[in-house]
Amino acid sequence: MKNLHRNNRSKFSKSIIFSLVFLVLGFMFSYSYSLSKSQERSSEFTGGAYFEQEEQYRKELIEQQERNKSLREELEEKQAAIQEFEQSFSEGESRNTDYAEEAEELRRVLGLLPVEGSGLTVTLQDGEYNSDSVNPNDYIVHESHVFQVINELYISGAEAISINGQRIHANSHIVCTGPVIAVDGVQHPAPFTIAAIGKPDVLASSIKLSGGVMDQLVNDNVVVTLDEGQVISMPAFLTET
Amino acid sequence: MWLSVLGLLLGISLGLLTDMQIPPEYADYLSIAVLASLDTLFGGIRAHLQHMYDDKVFVSGFFFNIVLAAGLAFLGVHLGVDLYLAAIFAFGVRLFQNIAVIRRLLLAKWTNKKEARESLG
Repeated sequence: MKNLHRNNRSKFSKSIIFSLVFLVLGFMFSYSYSLSKSQERSSEFTGGAYFEQEEQYRKELIEQQERNKSLREELEEKQAAIQEFEQSFSEGESRNTDYAEEAEELRRVLGLLPVEGSGLTVTLQDGEYNSDSVNPNDYIVHESHVFQVINELYISGAEAISINGQRIHANSHIVCTGPVIAVDGVQHPAPFTIAAIGKPDVLASSIKLSGGVMDQLVNDNVVVTLDEGQVISMPAFLTET
Repeated sequence: MWLSVLGLLLGISLGLLTDMQIPPEYADYLSIAVLASLDTLFGGIRAHLQHMYDDKVFVSGFFFNIVLAAGLAFLGVHLGVDLYLAAIFAFGVRLFQNIAVIRRLLLAKWTNKKEARESLG
Protein backbone atom coordinates (compact mmCIF):
# COMPACT_ATOMS: atom_id res chain seq x y z
CA MET A 1 0.00 0.00 0.00
CA LYS A 2 2.79 2.36 0.97
CA ASN A 3 4.78 1.38 -2.03
CA LEU A 4 1.84 2.07 -4.28
CA HIS A 5 1.41 5.47 -2.72
CA ARG A 6 5.02 6.34 -3.36
CA ASN A 7 4.70 5.15 -6.90
CA ASN A 8 1.66 7.35 -7.40
CA ARG A 9 3.47 10.30 -6.00
CA SER A 10 6.54 9.84 -8.16
CA LYS A 11 4.26 9.45 -11.16
CA PHE A 12 2.58 12.70 -10.26
CA SER A 13 5.85 14.58 -9.92
CA LYS A 14 7.03 13.07 -13.19
CA SER A 15 3.95 14.29 -14.97
CA ILE A 16 4.47 17.73 -13.41
CA ILE A 17 7.98 17.81 -14.83
CA PHE A 18 6.71 16.65 -18.19
CA SER A 19 4.03 19.27 -18.26
CA LEU A 20 6.69 21.86 -17.52
CA VAL A 21 8.83 20.52 -20.36
CA PHE A 22 5.92 20.58 -22.74
CA LEU A 23 4.93 24.00 -21.62
CA VAL A 24 8.35 25.29 -22.52
CA LEU A 25 8.27 23.38 -25.77
CA GLY A 26 4.87 24.70 -26.75
CA PHE A 27 5.79 28.20 -25.78
CA MET A 28 8.95 28.14 -27.84
CA PHE A 29 7.25 26.69 -30.88
CA SER A 30 4.35 29.03 -30.90
CA TYR A 31 6.45 32.02 -30.01
CA SER A 32 8.93 31.46 -32.81
CA TYR A 33 5.99 30.88 -35.11
CA SER A 34 4.37 34.15 -34.22
CA LEU A 35 7.73 35.89 -34.34
CA SER A 36 8.51 34.72 -37.87
CA LYS A 37 5.00 35.73 -38.88
CA SER A 38 5.45 39.23 -37.52
CA GLN A 39 8.84 39.49 -39.20
CA GLU A 40 7.23 38.60 -42.49
CA ARG A 41 4.74 41.33 -41.93
CA SER A 42 7.47 43.82 -41.09
CA SER A 43 9.42 42.85 -44.18
CA GLU A 44 6.25 43.47 -46.16
CA PHE A 45 6.00 46.79 -44.43
CA THR A 46 9.51 47.74 -45.48
CA GLY A 47 8.50 47.29 -49.10
CA GLY A 48 6.06 50.01 -50.03
CA ALA A 49 5.30 51.87 -46.90
CA TYR A 50 8.95 52.54 -46.22
CA PHE A 51 9.34 54.70 -49.29
CA GLU A 52 6.06 56.36 -48.59
CA GLN A 53 7.23 57.23 -45.12
CA GLU A 54 10.55 58.46 -46.43
CA GLU A 55 8.72 60.64 -48.88
CA GLN A 56 6.61 62.01 -46.10
CA TYR A 57 9.65 62.73 -43.96
CA ARG A 58 11.31 64.43 -46.86
CA LYS A 59 8.26 66.57 -47.37
CA GLU A 60 8.21 67.50 -43.71
CA LEU A 61 11.89 68.31 -43.86
CA ILE A 62 11.36 70.59 -46.83
CA GLU A 63 8.50 72.27 -45.06
CA GLN A 64 10.64 72.82 -42.02
CA GLN A 65 13.45 74.21 -44.11
CA GLU A 66 11.11 76.59 -45.85
CA ARG A 67 9.75 77.69 -42.55
CA ASN A 68 13.28 78.18 -41.26
CA LYS A 69 14.09 80.27 -44.28
CA SER A 70 11.07 82.50 -43.83
CA LEU A 71 11.80 82.82 -40.15
CA ARG A 72 15.39 83.76 -40.90
CA GLU A 73 14.20 86.41 -43.30
CA GLU A 74 11.87 87.73 -40.66
CA LEU A 75 14.70 87.75 -38.17
CA GLU A 76 16.90 89.71 -40.55
CA GLU A 77 14.13 92.19 -41.13
CA LYS A 78 13.64 92.67 -37.43
CA GLN A 79 17.35 93.05 -36.85
CA ALA A 80 17.52 95.69 -39.52
CA ALA A 81 14.60 97.48 -37.89
CA ILE A 82 16.35 97.30 -34.55
CA GLN A 83 19.52 98.67 -36.07
CA GLU A 84 17.62 101.54 -37.63
CA PHE A 85 15.92 102.23 -34.37
CA GLU A 86 19.19 102.15 -32.49
CA GLN A 87 20.75 104.51 -34.98
CA SER A 88 17.90 106.97 -34.69
CA PHE A 89 18.06 106.54 -30.95
CA SER A 90 21.75 107.38 -30.83
CA GLU A 91 21.14 110.31 -33.12
CA GLY A 92 18.40 111.47 -30.83
CA GLU A 93 20.70 110.99 -27.90
CA SER A 94 23.41 113.15 -29.44
CA ARG A 95 20.74 115.69 -30.27
CA ASN A 96 19.58 115.49 -26.70
CA THR A 97 23.09 116.16 -25.43
CA ASP A 98 23.25 119.08 -27.85
CA TYR A 99 19.99 120.34 -26.47
CA ALA A 100 21.20 119.89 -22.92
CA GLU A 101 24.38 121.78 -23.66
CA GLU A 102 22.41 124.51 -25.34
CA ALA A 103 20.04 124.68 -22.42
CA GLU A 104 22.94 124.99 -20.04
CA GLU A 105 24.48 127.67 -22.20
CA LEU A 106 21.20 129.55 -22.23
CA ARG A 107 20.85 129.17 -18.50
CA ARG A 108 24.32 130.53 -18.06
CA VAL A 109 23.39 133.50 -20.20
CA LEU A 110 20.15 133.97 -18.32
CA GLY A 111 22.04 133.95 -15.07
CA LEU A 112 20.43 130.87 -13.66
CA LEU A 113 23.78 129.21 -13.13
CA PRO A 114 26.92 130.42 -11.42
CA VAL A 115 29.59 131.11 -14.02
CA GLU A 116 33.31 131.58 -14.04
CA GLY A 117 35.63 132.88 -16.67
CA SER A 118 38.12 135.49 -17.72
CA GLY A 119 36.79 138.99 -18.22
CA LEU A 120 37.01 142.58 -17.21
CA THR A 121 36.11 144.46 -14.07
CA VAL A 122 35.30 148.13 -14.27
CA THR A 123 35.30 150.01 -11.00
CA LEU A 124 33.41 153.29 -10.88
CA GLN A 125 34.27 155.50 -8.00
CA ASP A 126 32.94 158.88 -6.97
CA GLY A 127 35.19 161.73 -7.84
CA GLU A 128 37.03 163.58 -5.11
CA TYR A 129 35.25 166.40 -3.45
CA ASN A 130 35.66 169.50 -5.52
CA SER A 131 35.13 172.75 -3.78
CA ASP A 132 34.57 174.51 -7.13
CA SER A 133 31.44 172.66 -7.93
CA VAL A 134 28.31 173.46 -6.06
CA ASN A 135 26.36 170.44 -7.02
CA PRO A 136 27.59 167.14 -5.58
CA ASN A 137 25.79 165.39 -8.45
CA ASP A 138 28.64 166.53 -10.66
CA TYR A 139 31.11 164.15 -9.12
CA ILE A 140 29.19 161.17 -7.90
CA VAL A 141 28.42 158.05 -9.91
CA HIS A 142 24.90 157.94 -11.25
CA GLU A 143 22.88 155.04 -12.48
CA SER A 144 23.24 156.38 -16.01
CA HIS A 145 26.96 155.81 -15.77
CA VAL A 146 26.39 152.29 -14.68
CA PHE A 147 23.90 151.84 -17.52
CA GLN A 148 26.40 153.13 -20.00
CA VAL A 149 29.07 150.79 -18.85
CA ILE A 150 26.75 147.82 -18.78
CA ASN A 151 25.34 148.54 -22.21
CA GLU A 152 28.80 149.03 -23.64
CA LEU A 153 29.92 145.77 -22.13
CA TYR A 154 26.90 143.90 -23.49
CA ILE A 155 27.37 145.45 -26.91
CA SER A 156 30.99 144.39 -27.00
CA GLY A 157 30.11 140.80 -26.27
CA ALA A 158 30.00 140.33 -22.52
CA GLU A 159 28.32 137.07 -21.62
CA ALA A 160 27.56 137.77 -17.99
CA ILE A 161 27.69 140.93 -15.89
CA SER A 162 27.47 141.51 -12.20
CA ILE A 163 27.49 144.65 -10.07
CA ASN A 164 29.27 144.30 -6.76
CA GLY A 165 28.85 140.57 -7.06
CA GLN A 166 25.13 140.72 -7.91
CA ARG A 167 24.26 139.16 -11.17
CA ILE A 168 22.46 141.19 -13.81
CA HIS A 169 19.86 139.38 -15.87
CA ALA A 170 17.48 140.29 -18.65
CA ASN A 171 14.85 141.76 -16.36
CA SER A 172 17.20 143.50 -13.94
CA HIS A 173 16.35 147.03 -13.02
CA ILE A 174 18.79 149.58 -11.77
CA VAL A 175 17.39 152.53 -9.88
CA CYS A 176 19.21 155.49 -8.43
CA THR A 177 18.02 156.14 -4.94
CA GLY A 178 19.96 159.14 -3.69
CA PRO A 179 23.61 158.32 -3.04
CA VAL A 180 23.10 154.60 -3.63
CA ILE A 181 22.01 152.47 -6.53
CA ALA A 182 19.45 149.74 -6.14
CA VAL A 183 19.98 146.75 -8.37
CA ASP A 184 16.87 144.59 -8.34
CA GLY A 185 15.98 146.18 -5.06
CA VAL A 186 19.33 145.54 -3.42
CA GLN A 187 21.13 148.73 -2.56
CA HIS A 188 24.77 149.16 -3.45
CA PRO A 189 26.94 152.10 -2.41
CA ALA A 190 29.85 153.44 -4.39
CA PRO A 191 32.31 152.24 -5.53
CA PHE A 192 30.63 150.02 -8.07
CA THR A 193 32.56 147.07 -9.37
CA ILE A 194 31.06 145.94 -12.64
CA ALA A 195 32.41 142.60 -13.65
CA ALA A 196 31.88 141.19 -17.13
CA ILE A 197 32.84 137.84 -18.47
CA GLY A 198 33.93 137.87 -22.07
CA LYS A 199 37.04 138.61 -24.08
CA PRO A 200 39.00 140.94 -21.78
CA ASP A 201 40.89 142.78 -24.51
CA VAL A 202 37.78 143.37 -26.59
CA LEU A 203 35.82 144.61 -23.59
CA ALA A 204 38.65 146.87 -22.43
CA SER A 205 39.28 148.39 -25.81
CA SER A 206 35.56 149.04 -26.34
CA ILE A 207 35.40 150.80 -23.01
CA LYS A 208 38.53 152.79 -23.82
CA LEU A 209 37.35 153.97 -27.23
CA SER A 210 38.12 157.63 -27.64
CA GLY A 211 34.91 159.57 -27.12
CA GLY A 212 33.45 156.44 -25.74
CA VAL A 213 32.20 155.42 -22.36
CA MET A 214 35.41 155.96 -20.47
CA ASP A 215 35.93 159.45 -21.74
CA GLN A 216 32.38 160.41 -20.89
CA LEU A 217 32.76 159.01 -17.41
CA VAL A 218 35.99 160.83 -16.87
CA ASN A 219 34.25 163.96 -18.11
CA ASP A 220 31.66 163.42 -15.43
CA ASN A 221 34.41 163.26 -12.82
CA VAL A 222 34.03 159.54 -12.24
CA VAL A 223 37.12 157.62 -11.36
CA VAL A 224 37.25 154.56 -13.63
CA THR A 225 39.56 151.65 -12.98
CA LEU A 226 39.86 148.80 -15.44
CA ASP A 227 41.17 145.46 -14.35
CA GLU A 228 41.36 142.90 -17.10
CA GLY A 229 42.54 139.39 -17.43
CA GLN A 230 41.53 137.96 -14.10
CA VAL A 231 39.26 135.03 -13.57
CA ILE A 232 35.86 136.20 -12.44
CA SER A 233 33.31 133.95 -10.83
CA MET A 234 29.70 135.02 -10.50
CA PRO A 235 26.88 133.51 -8.55
CA ALA A 236 23.52 132.75 -10.05
CA PHE A 237 21.19 135.66 -9.67
CA LEU A 238 18.73 133.77 -7.56
CA THR A 239 21.25 132.96 -4.88
CA GLU A 240 21.40 135.27 -1.93
CA THR A 241 24.69 137.11 -1.68
CA MET B 1 -0.33 12.32 -19.36
CA TRP B 2 -3.25 14.71 -19.40
CA LEU B 3 -1.25 17.18 -17.41
CA SER B 4 1.46 17.12 -20.08
CA VAL B 5 -1.08 17.82 -22.83
CA LEU B 6 -2.50 20.61 -20.73
CA GLY B 7 1.00 22.04 -20.31
CA LEU B 8 1.60 21.85 -24.06
CA LEU B 9 -1.65 23.65 -24.82
CA LEU B 10 -0.94 26.24 -22.19
CA GLY B 11 2.53 26.80 -23.61
CA ILE B 12 1.22 27.16 -27.16
CA SER B 13 -1.48 29.60 -26.16
CA LEU B 14 1.00 31.58 -24.06
CA GLY B 15 3.42 31.79 -26.97
CA LEU B 16 0.71 32.90 -29.37
CA LEU B 17 -0.68 35.45 -26.99
CA THR B 18 2.69 36.92 -26.09
CA ASP B 19 2.95 40.22 -27.86
CA MET B 20 6.52 40.74 -26.77
CA GLN B 21 8.83 41.82 -29.58
CA ILE B 22 12.45 40.80 -29.53
CA PRO B 23 15.15 42.20 -31.78
CA PRO B 24 15.65 40.18 -34.99
CA GLU B 25 19.22 39.24 -34.09
CA TYR B 26 17.90 37.29 -31.11
CA ALA B 27 15.40 35.38 -33.23
CA ASP B 28 18.28 33.13 -34.34
CA TYR B 29 18.82 31.99 -30.77
CA LEU B 30 15.18 31.05 -30.50
CA SER B 31 15.28 29.00 -33.69
CA ILE B 32 18.33 27.12 -32.43
CA ALA B 33 16.64 26.52 -29.10
CA VAL B 34 13.61 25.16 -30.96
CA LEU B 35 15.86 22.83 -32.89
CA ALA B 36 17.57 21.64 -29.72
CA SER B 37 14.26 20.96 -28.00
CA LEU B 38 13.02 19.03 -31.02
CA ASP B 39 16.18 16.96 -30.99
CA THR B 40 15.79 16.16 -27.32
CA LEU B 41 12.13 15.28 -27.79
CA PHE B 42 12.82 12.77 -30.53
CA GLY B 43 15.80 11.45 -28.59
CA GLY B 44 13.49 10.79 -25.71
CA ILE B 45 10.99 9.00 -27.90
CA ARG B 46 13.74 6.82 -29.36
CA ALA B 47 15.08 6.01 -25.90
CA HIS B 48 11.59 5.06 -24.82
CA LEU B 49 11.22 2.71 -27.76
CA GLN B 50 14.62 1.19 -27.03
CA HIS B 51 13.65 0.70 -23.38
CA MET B 52 16.54 2.79 -22.08
CA TYR B 53 14.57 5.90 -21.27
CA ASP B 54 15.50 7.94 -18.16
CA ASP B 55 13.54 10.92 -16.84
CA LYS B 56 16.58 12.73 -15.52
CA VAL B 57 18.50 12.41 -18.74
CA PHE B 58 15.51 13.58 -20.77
CA VAL B 59 14.62 16.62 -18.65
CA SER B 60 18.20 17.73 -18.05
CA GLY B 61 19.02 17.18 -21.71
CA PHE B 62 16.01 19.18 -22.77
CA PHE B 63 16.92 22.29 -20.82
CA PHE B 64 20.66 21.92 -21.09
CA ASN B 65 20.59 21.52 -24.87
CA ILE B 66 18.45 24.59 -25.27
CA VAL B 67 20.73 26.68 -23.12
CA LEU B 68 23.84 25.26 -24.72
CA ALA B 69 22.63 25.91 -28.24
CA ALA B 70 21.59 29.45 -27.47
CA GLY B 71 24.82 30.09 -25.60
CA LEU B 72 26.87 28.70 -28.47
CA ALA B 73 25.09 30.94 -30.92
CA PHE B 74 25.61 33.91 -28.64
CA LEU B 75 29.29 33.15 -28.35
CA GLY B 76 29.55 32.74 -32.11
CA VAL B 77 27.97 36.11 -32.76
CA HIS B 78 30.39 37.79 -30.42
CA LEU B 79 33.44 35.92 -31.70
CA GLY B 80 32.57 36.47 -35.33
CA VAL B 81 32.35 32.72 -35.95
CA ASP B 82 29.07 31.22 -37.11
CA LEU B 83 28.89 28.73 -34.28
CA TYR B 84 25.14 28.47 -34.58
CA LEU B 85 25.79 26.61 -37.82
CA ALA B 86 27.59 23.96 -35.78
CA ALA B 87 24.60 23.70 -33.47
CA ILE B 88 22.18 23.51 -36.36
CA PHE B 89 24.32 20.88 -38.06
CA ALA B 90 24.75 18.73 -34.97
CA PHE B 91 21.12 18.91 -33.93
CA GLY B 92 19.90 18.45 -37.50
CA VAL B 93 21.97 15.29 -38.00
CA ARG B 94 20.91 13.90 -34.66
CA LEU B 95 17.29 14.72 -35.40
CA PHE B 96 17.38 12.78 -38.63
CA GLN B 97 19.19 9.88 -36.97
CA ASN B 98 16.71 9.75 -34.14
CA ILE B 99 13.78 9.85 -36.52
CA ALA B 100 15.36 7.12 -38.63
CA VAL B 101 15.89 4.94 -35.56
CA ILE B 102 12.30 5.54 -34.44
CA ARG B 103 11.04 4.62 -37.88
CA ARG B 104 13.03 1.41 -37.92
CA LEU B 105 11.96 0.45 -34.44
CA LEU B 106 8.33 1.08 -35.25
CA LEU B 107 8.69 -0.84 -38.46
CA ALA B 108 10.34 -3.75 -36.67
CA LYS B 109 7.63 -3.70 -34.01
CA TRP B 110 4.91 -3.71 -36.65
CA THR B 111 6.44 -6.57 -38.61
CA ASN B 112 7.00 -8.51 -35.37
CA LYS B 113 3.37 -8.05 -34.42
CA LYS B 114 2.23 -9.05 -37.86
CA GLU B 115 4.41 -12.17 -37.86
CA ALA B 116 3.24 -13.07 -34.38
CA ARG B 117 -0.38 -12.72 -35.44
CA GLU B 118 0.22 -14.76 -38.59
CA SER B 119 2.02 -17.47 -36.66
CA LEU B 120 -0.77 -17.38 -34.11
CA GLY B 121 -3.34 -17.51 -36.81
